[in-house]
Amino acid sequence: MAEKAPLLELRNVCKAFSGVEVLHDVSFDLHAGEVHCVVGENGAGKSTLIKIISGAYSADSGRTLYFGEEAHHADPRWVLSRGISTIYQEIDLVPALSVAENICLGKEPRTRSGNVDRPAMKRLASRVLDEIGVSLDLAAPAGTLTVAHQQMVAIARALSVNSRVLLLDEPTAVFTATEVEVLFRIVRRLKGQGLGIIYISHHLEEIFQIGDRITVMRDGRVTRTGAAEDFDRTSLVRAMVGRDIDFSRKAEGGTAGEEMLRVEKLTRRRVFEDVSFSLRRGEVLGVAGLVGSGRTELARAIFGVDRFDEGALYVRGIERRFRSPRHALREGLGMLPENRKEEGLVQSRPVLENAAYSSVQLEARFGFVPWGRIRRAVRGVIGHVGVRCASTNMNVRALSGGNQQKVVIAKWLAARSDILILDEPTRGVDVGAREEIYALMRAFKADGKAILMISSDLPELLTQADRILVMAKGHIVGEMPREQASEEAVLGLALEAGRGDRRAQ
Amino acid sequence: MLSDRGRRAVLLGLDDYGAALVLLCLVAYGALRVPNFLSEMNLSAILYQYSIIGLLALGQLLVVLTAGIDLSQGSLLALTSITTALVMVRHGPVLGALAGLALPTSVGVLSGLLVSRLRMPPFLVTLGTMGIARGMAMQIANAHPVPIHNEAFIAFGSGTLFHVPVSTFIWIAACVALHFFLTRRPFGRHVYAVGSSEESSRLSGVKVSSVKLTVYVISALLSAVGGVIWTSRLGSGSPVGGQNYELESIAAVVVGGASLFGGKGRVDGIVAGVLIFGVINSVLNLSGISPFWQGMIKGAVVLLAVALTQIRSRPDARAAEGGVAHA
Amino acid sequence: MLELPLPRRFWQERTVDTQRTFTTFLVMLLLMALAAALSRGVFLRPTNLLNLVFQNAILGVVSFGQLLVILSAGIDLSVGSVLGLSTVLLMIFQFVGLPAALLVTIAIPALIGAVNGYFVAQRRLPAFVVTLAMMLFVYSLAQVVSGGAGIYSGLNGAPLSPLLVSFNRRGVLGVPLPAVVWLLALAGVAFYLRLRIGHFVFAVGGNERAAALSGAPVITVRFLAYLLASVLASIGGVLAVARVGEGHPAAGQTYLLDSIAAVTIGGASLSGGEGTIIGTLMGVLILGTLNNILNLLNVSPMMQPAVKGIVILLAVYLNGRREQR
Repeated sequence: MAEKAPLLELRNVCKAFSGVEVLHDVSFDLHAGEVHCVVGENGAGKSTLIKIISGAYSADSGRTLYFGEEAHHADPRWVLSRGISTIYQEIDLVPALSVAENICLGKEPRTRSGNVDRPAMKRLASRVLDEIGVSLDLAAPAGTLTVAHQQMVAIARALSVNSRVLLLDEPTAVFTATEVEVLFRIVRRLKGQGLGIIYISHHLEEIFQIGDRITVMRDGRVTRTGAAEDFDRTSLVRAMVGRDIDFSRKAEGGTAGEEMLRVEKLTRRRVFEDVSFSLRRGEVLGVAGLVGSGRTELARAIFGVDRFDEGALYVRGIERRFRSPRHALREGLGMLPENRKEEGLVQSRPVLENAAYSSVQLEARFGFVPWGRIRRAVRGVIGHVGVRCASTNMNVRALSGGNQQKVVIAKWLAARSDILILDEPTRGVDVGAREEIYALMRAFKADGKAILMISSDLPELLTQADRILVMAKGHIVGEMPREQASEEAVLGLALEAGRGDRRAQ
Repeated sequence: MLSDRGRRAVLLGLDDYGAALVLLCLVAYGALRVPNFLSEMNLSAILYQYSIIGLLALGQLLVVLTAGIDLSQGSLLALTSITTALVMVRHGPVLGALAGLALPTSVGVLSGLLVSRLRMPPFLVTLGTMGIARGMAMQIANAHPVPIHNEAFIAFGSGTLFHVPVSTFIWIAACVALHFFLTRRPFGRHVYAVGSSEESSRLSGVKVSSVKLTVYVISALLSAVGGVIWTSRLGSGSPVGGQNYELESIAAVVVGGASLFGGKGRVDGIVAGVLIFGVINSVLNLSGISPFWQGMIKGAVVLLAVALTQIRSRPDARAAEGGVAHA
Repeated sequence: MLELPLPRRFWQERTVDTQRTFTTFLVMLLLMALAAALSRGVFLRPTNLLNLVFQNAILGVVSFGQLLVILSAGIDLSVGSVLGLSTVLLMIFQFVGLPAALLVTIAIPALIGAVNGYFVAQRRLPAFVVTLAMMLFVYSLAQVVSGGAGIYSGLNGAPLSPLLVSFNRRGVLGVPLPAVVWLLALAGVAFYLRLRIGHFVFAVGGNERAAALSGAPVITVRFLAYLLASVLASIGGVLAVARVGEGHPAAGQTYLLDSIAAVTIGGASLSGGEGTIIGTLMGVLILGTLNNILNLLNVSPMMQPAVKGIVILLAVYLNGRREQR
C-alpha cells in the first residue's frame, strides 16, 4: 500500500464525561482502500471513538483531521459533508419513505418544475445499490425491510453522497450468515473503489476475514495497532485484556447456602436457548457475554418483563412464571435494569419517591400505605447506600450517574428483595461510587441475599463474582468458579461461539 | 393460514385502502337499503355539507403527518368569517376574502413558529391560538354577526356547477393539489420524513423547522378557505361558527387512516374518511333516525378505526422485536 | 426568566413540582393583587373571594379529574360531554327521588370512565382518540336521552328536588355548598394520591417502563384515572344542575378546554408525571381571577378566550423553560 495521506486521523485524543475519562491519548488513522477494524470489550471506548469521528462529540484535547482538515467542534452534518458516513446500529432511516427516497433524502433529484424526478431518483438509487451489488425493491417502505437490508440502504445512502469513509458500528449484530457474506462482498467492493472503512465488531472471525489492520482498545486506550496478519486469536484476546487485576479487591468467597433461584432449559425462541443454572443464597453469580448474547433478555424473562417459551423457573424450590414484575417483586426478586435512566428511575420524580416505589407496592395494605414507616426506612437506606444529594426531595434527574444507580439499588434494598438481578451495575459510574456499590454487594451477600450480576466489565466479574457463567449467542457456553477464571478464558469463551453458530436464514 | 408475508401484505393493503373499503360498504348499504340514497339531490347534499370539513381535514392531515395537531381550525374559520364580512362592507368581496384569508393565516404562522422554533407541544400551542383566534373574532364585531349584501359572493358558496356544488370543486382542487404536493414535491415528502423520523430527517439535511412551520400555515389557510365558503353560505360573517369543527376534522383524519404519531396518512384516505361521516349522516337522515344518534355512531366508528390501526401495526412490531438481542 | 426570590440552593433541594407550584402561587398572588388594586380592595372582601370559589367550583372539580388523567400521561376529552350527560341524567331521574338519582348520575359516568380506561389502559389505544370518540358518543347519548334540548323537570314532570334548588344558597359555616363540594373533592383526590394506586400515577405517567419494573400496577393505575375523571365530571354535573336548574347535553362544553388550561397553568406537564393538586386548584383560581380582572378593566367578555389562550401559551412556555434547567 502506497503511503498516501490518511483519509482520517485522530492524534492524542482525550475525552471525559463528568470527570470520568473515557478516551485517553488515542491515536488512530485510516487510509484509502483499507478496512481498519477496531476491537475491544464493552466500555473500552469504541463507541466514544466513533462518536468523535462522526462528529457527535468533540474531543477534549488532541486533534481530529478529516482529509487533512482539522475539526474544531462537534458537527455531524459537517463531518457528513466531508465525506464520512456513519452506519449506526440503530439504523436511521425514515420508515415511512421508500428505499429510493431514503437514499436520496435531503437531496432529491428534481425536474425543471421543481418536482421530485422519480425516474432520476430510481436511477440514482439503482446505480448506488448496484455499486454495492445489492438489489432491493426501490418502492418498498424502509420500515418493512429486514435490519440487514435497512443497513444496506444506509450504506447506499452514504455512497450517494460520495462518502469516502464508512464507519460501520457492529454491523452484523443481528445478521444471518448469508447476510454477513453479502456485507463482506459490499465491503470488499467499496474497498476496491478506494474507500476507507472502519469496522467495529467483536466477532473475531469476521475481523480476520475482512480486516487489513486492527486496533485494539482497552479502558479508553489503544493497546495495539497493526496489520491483521500480525495477530492471531490468542494475541488479539490478550491485547484486549491482559491487565493487572488488583486481586486485593476481591470479595470474600461466600459460603453458598440454599438454592434461591433455579432455571432449567429456559428458552425464548431466537433470543436465548436451553439456559440452565442455579443461584444460591450468599453468592454472586456473574454472567459474562458480549452484545447479542441474550443476557439482558434472560434477566427480563426471569423477572417477568418478557415471557419465555420453554423451560422452567424455580424460586425457592417452587415453580414460577411471573406475568409481570409486580409478581416477581412479591416473591422477593428485584432487578436493576441495564439502562437505569430510562428503565430504572422516573427522572421527573424525587429521590425519596423513586427509592420507595417497590416498598410502597409491597407494604400497602388494602390500598393504604404506611407512609411514616416507609419514609423513615427509605431515608435510612438512602443514607446507608450513600446517595449524595442535597436533599431527598430533589428530582432524580439532578443526580450524577453513580448516585442515580445507587437510588435504584436503594429501592430494592428498601423492598428487602433477597434475589437481586443486577444488569451492568457499575456502567457509567465513577470509581468511587463503584467501590461503594461493591461494598453494598458484599453486604447483601453477608446478609444471605443472592445476586445475579450481568456485567461486561471483566475485572469486575473476576473480583466480585463467586462463579461466572459465560453466554454467547443465547447459549451458556461456559461456567467456572472464580478461582479458575481469567479474563482471557472468559473473553475467549464469549467470543468463541461466533463460529458457525449464526441463526440460519 | 396466511403466511407471514401474506398477512403483512393484507394488513398493508388495509392500511392504505381500509377507509375506502368501509366507505364502499356504507355506500352499498345506503344504495340497497335506504330510499333515495343514490339520488342526485342526496349525493349533492352530502358533498355540499362536507366540503368544508373536507378542507379542514386536509389541513389537519398535513399537521398530523408531522406528529402534530391543530385545534385552532374552527376558531380560524370563525375569524375568517367575521373578517371577510367586515372588510367586504367597505372594500368589496375580493379584498374581503383576501383579508379573511390573510388574518387567520398569520395566526397559523404564530402556531407554526411556536411549535417549530420554540419546540412547544402542538396540542397546547393550538389550544392557545384557538382561544386567541376566537377572542379576536368575537371582539372585532362585538360578537354580532355582520350581514353580507354582495349577491355574487353569497351565490358562490351555495352555487352548483353541473349539479355539483362549487365548494366541492374547491375541495377537490385542494385534494388534488395536496396529493400532488405530498407525493411529488420534495417538501411534501419531507413532511412524511419529519413525522416518521425527525432525527434521521434532520441528519439528512431536511429543514425540519420549515416543514413544521409550513404545515401549520397551510392548515390555517385551508381553514380560512373553508371559512370563506361558510360565510358565503351563511350570508353573513359570524364569529361564533366553527365550534368543534377541528374535532370533526381530527375524527375524519383518524378514520381516514392517518396516525396521530406522524408519518402515516394519505389524501385519498382522508377523502374516504370525510365521506364516511357524510354517508353515515345521510343514511341516518334518510332512514328517519334522529340526528342525535349520529354522534354515537361517529364515536363508535372512530374507536373502531383506531383499534384496527393497532391490530395492523402489531405484527410489524413483533417482527422487529424478533431477532434483536440486547446485551 | 423568572428569578425566584430565594437562593438557588433552596430550590435545588426542592422538587420541580414544588418549584412550579410556587411559581403558580406567585402568579396567582400577583393577579389577585392586581384585581384588588383595580377594584380598590373590593376583590379581597370575603364575600367576593367566596364568590370566586363558588363560581369556579364546577371547573375546579372537573379539573381535578383531568389532572389525574394528565398525570398518568393521558388526556380526557370526554369530560365535557360526561358532565352534560350527568346533568341530563340527574334531571330525568328526579322522579325516583334524589338519592337514587344521584346514584345513577354518578354510576353511568363511572361506567363511561371505565370504558375509557379499558381502551386506554388495557388495549393501549391512544388516549386522545379514545376519549375523542367517547366525547362524540356521550354527547350524542345525552341528546338522545334529553330529546336534544334542555330539561327542566324529571320524567313524569317530577320537579327538581328542593335540596338542589336551594343548593347554592345553602352553606356550611358560611361557606356555600358548591365550595364545600370542591373542597371535599380536593380532599378526596389528595387522599387518593396517598393511596398505593393513586401514588403510582406519577410514576406511571413519568416513566411507564420504570414504573412497571418497580412493580407498579400500571394498567390499574391508568384505568382508575379515567374512571375517576368521569366520576368527578359527573359531580361537576350535579353542581351544574344546582346552579341553573337545567339538564342540558351541552352543559359541559366550556369545561373541557378550561380544565386542560387550568391543569397546565397549574404546572402539570402534558407528558405526564409532573403536577400537583394545589397547582391545579390555583390554576382554576387564576382563570377565575383573570375573568374578574377583565371585568374590572371593562374588557369585553369577548376577549376572554383570547386572554385564556395567551395565558396558556405563557404557561407552557414558562413550564418548558423550567424543564430545561
